[in-house]
Formats: sequence, C-alpha cells, structure tokens
Amino acid sequence: MIYQAASFEDLPVAEPDEIARLRHRDSAALAGVVGRYQHRLYRYLRRLVRDPAAADDLFQQTWLNVVREIYRYDSRRSFDTWLFAIAHNAAMDRLRRKTGESLEESGCQPIAAEPDALSAAITSQRTAILALEMAGLSAPYREVLTLRFEEGMKLEEIAEVTRAPLSTVKSRVQRALETLRERMTARYRKEDLL
Amino acid sequence: MTPHETIRPMLALSAAGLLDAAGERRVREHVHECAECAAALDELAALSADLCRLPAPMAPPDLLARAEARVAEELAAQGGLRQGATLAVCAGLFAWVATLATWGLYRFLTGGAGWLAWLVLTTVPAYMAAGAVAVMFASRRRLERSLL
Repeated sequence: MIYQAASFEDLPVAEPDEIARLRHRDSAALAGVVGRYQHRLYRYLRRLVRDPAAADDLFQQTWLNVVREIYRYDSRRSFDTWLFAIAHNAAMDRLRRKTGESLEESGCQPIAAEPDALSAAITSQRTAILALEMAGLSAPYREVLTLRFEEGMKLEEIAEVTRAPLSTVKSRVQRALETLRERMTARYRKEDLL
Repeated sequence: MTPHETIRPMLALSAAGLLDAAGERRVREHVHECAECAAALDELAALSADLCRLPAPMAPPDLLARAEARVAEELAAQGGLRQGATLAVCAGLFAWVATLATWGLYRFLTGGAGWLAWLVLTTVPAYMAAGAVAVMFASRRRLERSLL
C-alpha cells in the first residue's frame, strides 16, 4: 500500500496582491497575511522548538524578519517556502543557543513529560501518542516530518526551507519515519504486555 | 547488496510519497514478492497517514494581536528612520547649495583668502545640525507611535 498524500489544497496561502501590498508596508495586508498563516506557522514552530513560550516569541520574531526582509523576496518563488525558511532560521538560532536541544540527526531527546504520556495513553488516541513520540525525535527529524505531512511540502521545498541538500532531506525523512515506527511498535508491544 | 537491502530504505520514502515513478515501481514490484517489506510498508503508510492528522497545537488567542502590534511598531520605527534619513539628506543638500550660493559674496568681500577654513566653517555645522534634526525627528516619531 502506497501512502496517498493528503490534500493540502485547503491550506491558507497569501494572495499575490497581498504580498505586493506587504512590500509597500500596507498594515492591512500585513494583518491579512499574519492571520492567514497564524495556525500553520505556529504549528511548525511548536513542532520544532516544542516550548510554547519559545514558539510564541519566534512567531513574532518571524514576522518582524518578514517585514525587514520583504524587499528580498522574489515573487516568482513560493511565499510559503520563503516564510518557513525565515521561521526555520529564527528557530535554529534559538535552538543552537539553547542547551540540551540536539540539532544532530541522531540525537533523540527524552519525550516531554510523564503526565502527557499518561494522558495520551488514557485517551488511547494513536495520533496523540504519535505526537508525543514525534516530540521525542531530534529537531531535524521533527522538522522534516511536519513540513512533509502537515505542510504538504515537496522534497525540493523542504530542502529550500531547511537549506539542506535533497539527499539529506530524504535521509532525514526516512530515518525519522523508521524511528517513529520502531517507537510506536515498541510502545504498543509494551502496552500489550501490561 | 540484495534487492531486499536496496528496497528497504526506500519504503519510508514511498510511504511519505517522496519517490519518483521509477522508484515507486521498484518498491511495488518488491513488496509484491516480499511479505516482510509489504508489512513494513503498510505500517509506514499508516504512520504517514496519522502524521497528517496529528492534533495541532493551538496558538494563544492573543498571539495574532501581539504579533501585529510588534510588527506595527517595527514599521513605525522604519518609517521614522526613513523620514529622518530623507530629512538629513535634504538638509545636507541645502547646506551645500547655501555654501555655493554665498561663495561669490565671500570672494567679493575677502578676495578668496582662507577659502578652506570658510568651507569647513560653513558646511560642517550645517551637516551636524542636519544630523541632529534627523535623529531628533526619528526619535520623536517613534515616541509618538508608541503612545498611539
């Protein structure tokens, strides 16, 4: 069975005229674009940095950087990719400064906290457990997963956002999925034994 | 390397929908004959489908308003700086024009002696004043915006 990519057509995107107005620092256009991308950008940042306060701050920082750098944006390219690349840079800067967060692909952090794990297990929702396991992956793995499966980005777009070669993106997706599969299998096997 | 070993790393990419047509064909042909890889692909495909349905973290309700306010502040600051810079350029040009315009009078009165000192004395204060005005203007604009 081959995975059928979900439809991402309903993802809100910026209108070309909005971007043109944004270049002229039109505050109404800015409010429109920020509102449109609010949930997508926040979700990406939360997956990447995990901490809600940090994601909150990075969300604001990203839009500040957008306003500062909008003159560099090439309208022939995707605004989504450009925006997420700016968010990626801001998040990576923060993660590099932060102690305890590994940016290595092999690095896996202990998953959030036991109450979350417990509540996820109680609700018996596979996706909740999966979200918890995903949060335990290293940042580069979390990032490619959210960009691929939640943002619906293609390989080339993910490479552009993360500024990584295509081969690296492929290997990250592959390892992230395999690690998740192993963890989910181990978790369900453990629960079966209880 | 056996076909099994070659195909194995491609399963996750197939599940993620990231293989090209040729790669997909190779995977399909292999899983048709290999039960182990077929089972792994099924699991990875189910995982991929679940990843599309992860519960999304909710943004704080006031996040949008806070972001817009912070960006508006930045835009106001940029606007103030731009106007300040424009003012400084205009003042500088005015200083040069004034200097050149009065050169004839100065030459008539002094015969052109000490022209370098005259040039410095007429232009430097004008530039300093222009710079100070520009900075004050930008600061005032920023203060006004922050009070709105």
